[in-house]
Amino acid sequence: MAQTSTDITSLQSSQATRQPRQRQMSDLRIMQLFILPTVILLILMNIFPLIYSLYLSFTNYSVIADKAPEWIGIQNYTTILSDQRFWANFATTGRYALISVILQTLIGFGLALLLRNKFKGSGLVTTLILVPMMLSPIVVATFWKLMFNPSLGIFNYLLGYTDINTSPLWLGDPNLALWAIVIVDVWMWSPFVMLLCLAGLSAIPEYLYEAAAIDRASAWFQFRRITLPQVMPLLLIAVLFRTIEAFKQFDLVMGLTSGGPGDVTETVSIRLYKLAFQGQYDTGMSSALAYIILIIIIAVSNLYIRSLNKARGA
Amino acid sequence: MMANQTYQAQSPVNFSTRVDKVGRRPMIASAIKGIVAIIIAFIMLIPVIWMGMTAFKSLSDAVSVPPKVFFTPTVEGFVNLFTQQRQLTDAEVAQYQERTDLNWAEQLVLQRQKTIIGQSQFAGQLLNSLIIAGASTIFSVIFAVLSAYAFSRFEIPGKDDLLFFILSQRMLPAVVVTVPIFLMYRQLGLYDTHIGMIFLYTSFNLSFAVWLLKGFIDEIPKEYEEAALVDGYTRLQAFRKVVLPQAVTGIAATTVFSLIFSWNEYAFALMLTSDRARTAPPSIPLILGTGGIEWSTIAAGSMLFLIPVVIVTFILRKHLLRGVTFGAIRKG
Amino acid sequence: MLKKFALLLMVALLMVMGVGGSVVAQDVTELTIWWAQWAPADFLQQVGNDYEAATGIKVTVVQTPWGDFYNRVGTEWAAKGTSYDLIVGDSQWVGQGVTQGHYVDLTDFMVSNGIDKTVTPATLQYYGEYPPGSGKYYAYPTEGDANGWAYRKDLFEDETNKADFEAAYGYALDIPQTWEQLRDIAEFFTGRQEGLYGVAVYTQDDYDAITMGFENIFFSYGADWYDADYNVLGVVNSPEAVAALELYRELYQFAPPGTNDAFFQEMNDAFTNGQAAMIMNYFAFFPALDSDANPYRDATGYFVMPTGPGGERFAALGGQGISLNSYIDDARKQASLDFILWFAQEDTQRRWAELGGYTCNINVLESEEFLNQTPYNRAFAETMTFVKDFWNIPEFGQLLEPTQRYLSSYIVAGQGTAQEALDALAEEQDAILVETGVIQP
Repeated sequence: MAQTSTDITSLQSSQATRQPRQRQMSDLRIMQLFILPTVILLILMNIFPLIYSLYLSFTNYSVIADKAPEWIGIQNYTTILSDQRFWANFATTGRYALISVILQTLIGFGLALLLRNKFKGSGLVTTLILVPMMLSPIVVATFWKLMFNPSLGIFNYLLGYTDINTSPLWLGDPNLALWAIVIVDVWMWSPFVMLLCLAGLSAIPEYLYEAAAIDRASAWFQFRRITLPQVMPLLLIAVLFRTIEAFKQFDLVMGLTSGGPGDVTETVSIRLYKLAFQGQYDTGMSSALAYIILIIIIAVSNLYIRSLNKARGA
Repeated sequence: MMANQTYQAQSPVNFSTRVDKVGRRPMIASAIKGIVAIIIAFIMLIPVIWMGMTAFKSLSDAVSVPPKVFFTPTVEGFVNLFTQQRQLTDAEVAQYQERTDLNWAEQLVLQRQKTIIGQSQFAGQLLNSLIIAGASTIFSVIFAVLSAYAFSRFEIPGKDDLLFFILSQRMLPAVVVTVPIFLMYRQLGLYDTHIGMIFLYTSFNLSFAVWLLKGFIDEIPKEYEEAALVDGYTRLQAFRKVVLPQAVTGIAATTVFSLIFSWNEYAFALMLTSDRARTAPPSIPLILGTGGIEWSTIAAGSMLFLIPVVIVTFILRKHLLRGVTFGAIRKG
Repeated sequence: MLKKFALLLMVALLMVMGVGGSVVAQDVTELTIWWAQWAPADFLQQVGNDYEAATGIKVTVVQTPWGDFYNRVGTEWAAKGTSYDLIVGDSQWVGQGVTQGHYVDLTDFMVSNGIDKTVTPATLQYYGEYPPGSGKYYAYPTEGDANGWAYRKDLFEDETNKADFEAAYGYALDIPQTWEQLRDIAEFFTGRQEGLYGVAVYTQDDYDAITMGFENIFFSYGADWYDADYNVLGVVNSPEAVAALELYRELYQFAPPGTNDAFFQEMNDAFTNGQAAMIMNYFAFFPALDSDANPYRDATGYFVMPTGPGGERFAALGGQGISLNSYIDDARKQASLDFILWFAQEDTQRRWAELGGYTCNINVLESEEFLNQTPYNRAFAETMTFVKDFWNIPEFGQLLEPTQRYLSSYIVAGQGTAQEALDALAEEQDAILVETGVIQP
């Protein structure tokens, strides 16, 4: 929007930077003062844990054992990468992330299209739709567990199943459990996608549609050529955040199934938790797994950011 | 769109011009969209409505088969939430039934053969949540505005690396940093303290907040500040009087997101707090009675806990939408 | 330097004060006890309030939800933390607490004060002793607990039910004496009335629930988790174990839909909402059934574990002993010991039992007063004579994780056969035991 002015002003602002005024704080000082709190806090709170766990990922170490970490090189990494169960965990996570991000995108975008035109009470409706994402994930998991229960919950009744002996056992059936988690995740986070899409939609200049209307362009054409490209950057950001979160998703899965039944919903985060706690306390191995997850997230993020830049450039 | 603003303009941005142009599109289509949206909103709210209903159910209504849609409402769940109770023996129940000095809450729990022996920790935990979520939200917004401004306006050596570093803080799974942070907190005496939790949540929120706000401040034309500087404002004054008012929308959006996160955070609160600084989320879903899960109590706690965030979001909803727009769709 | 100085100062102070021990303990004005979040912890808090009234030392019981209790404690151990003075820890933690130095050796204290003789031998062995048979104690048995059964007397005593059952199975409907009978009864009641199911059993897979429920059959069928030399191959997957697992899965078929992730609360819920004719549960959770929260309160009966094919009978052990944090200073240790000593007195134990705590004190357990206090106390006292626990070696957490997973996988998800599940489990456990050096390959 303000693209052209930015180029000019950046020049001006850099001139201003070079000419600090007298009797007042120099820009350098201001810059330092402004940035330092953030950087110091982040370094304090994050650098130690990050470096410490990176170190531990190369050791054989259990945090509760009274033994010093023993350096074993990349053994933890090779164990993880050669263990079929870890690959199964990654596959489960990938399936879950893919399905739920796609559904969230479709539903969130759809909702945004419905809500883009203001109507009486649309502010309230928008806020109400946002309620699921304001809830604590652990509360969400707890309540959905009750809702999914074929005996006590209403979910199956709402779907029309009235005989509890034949109605689906969402969290106990190995074929349905992952879907149950997807349903809850989509319910909770579609509003987030909607919010970002709505923001994107309301920023589309009206004249584009007016011009299209003059050309008698079809609704589909307007959607494909105007709406979609204009919303794309925000949509991609929403998808990026949801993908990162899906890989890290812990509270929901833990609360709903804790990886079960058996290990059919054991995502990498659940596996990480089981390794790091749950009586195993394999701190070294779990740190290595965490770093593998981190690398995957960074790689996926970069892919997204690249397509994001493409969408912006277009 | 920016053109109709002057640098003093503190009046709301005339953001969407589409509202008054609705008339050009068929009204019927718009009405249908509205109705469909309301229906979907209702469907999405069913779980929350169900939670609200459960909060007013008695213990046995909450676990009845099939689930009850119609029931006699009771505030039992709320009473359980705020009080500590003790099971009475049959003899004691008879004694209590004859007493006339019982208040309504005591009479209510007497129906379950219990007596109130004191306050539960919930009120204190709510207060902790307010302090910790409130303070960390304020701190993260302040720190983020300052550094977002600096990142946006100054040339900083290694800027891109720093920014990536800040973003990357969100990428490591929380589970694995709990142990190092726990050990660190122990050493520093920050375990189970309000200040420790405030630091922690502030640092988590910062990465998102800095990115959101930087994008937003990038969008505020620099001419405004330059003009103010020419007028004799100092850099700090220009920041306060020109940039901040323009950034209100972004600040509001950041506030909502930070608040939602710190208000609801569970895993770290569980590991890093004990009695003094324990917030509500770790306790709500795990409220246990002597036997079954006390669904009505859990629901009552969840509903009470949800209300503040909904109110804040509703108040800031306009900013929320616009804050996200500016923050995220900036180009290059 | 500073430390030495502080130490000197302490010694000097002690000398000035004349005597150590009890005098120093006076400096301690509060004690913190950690336990899981449940009703007995409330009872302990009330006992603690009595202690404060008697001595002026404030006792605080800090409760953590069951699912997170072990994680929290483990992290505290990692930090050698002093957040708690005393801990009421699960029986299987003792091995870890001892070998890793988190628990204080209480042998001398308990023997010299005669406390070891006041509690039942089984509880002393499982809650306090490590290694097994060594005569070394690290915990005072605090909350005795094990699995038992609650059942609907009205259904069992109904004349039509009795006649139909006898016609179908050839013997009279009564409290099951064997696991086979329990299975028959469960099958019989399932679907007999609208919404009625035969039995509810533990199935939760996040900590130890499904393993606990399964062990009742597993041990009674003569199976075990390892032999005397800690070998698991051919032990965990023995024919007896496979038969036991198949039976448990059968029982799950007769359970109310939705009990696929169930532990103690869900058991009680399934009972009070009228879905289950029989439920297994820890005795610690039966008080809720003996209150008006249970609409079938007057028709609720309790029985002990049935026997396996060989006539053996075991109940999975729950319950906890109270241990001393080894990282607190000596004054606090002494104050904590004083508390245990007071807590172990018969009067205190009687009060503990009255409040609803499951005492391990022999005299209190045998008193008619205790046995008649509730409808389930008699079954509890009997059960405590045939309890059995799983691994208490420090590696238990690693062994438990695959156990939970494979059991849930076969019982709940219905994947593979019982033999396959246990074969895979045995192999995985064997690898863990070899890796940790418990057994030689």
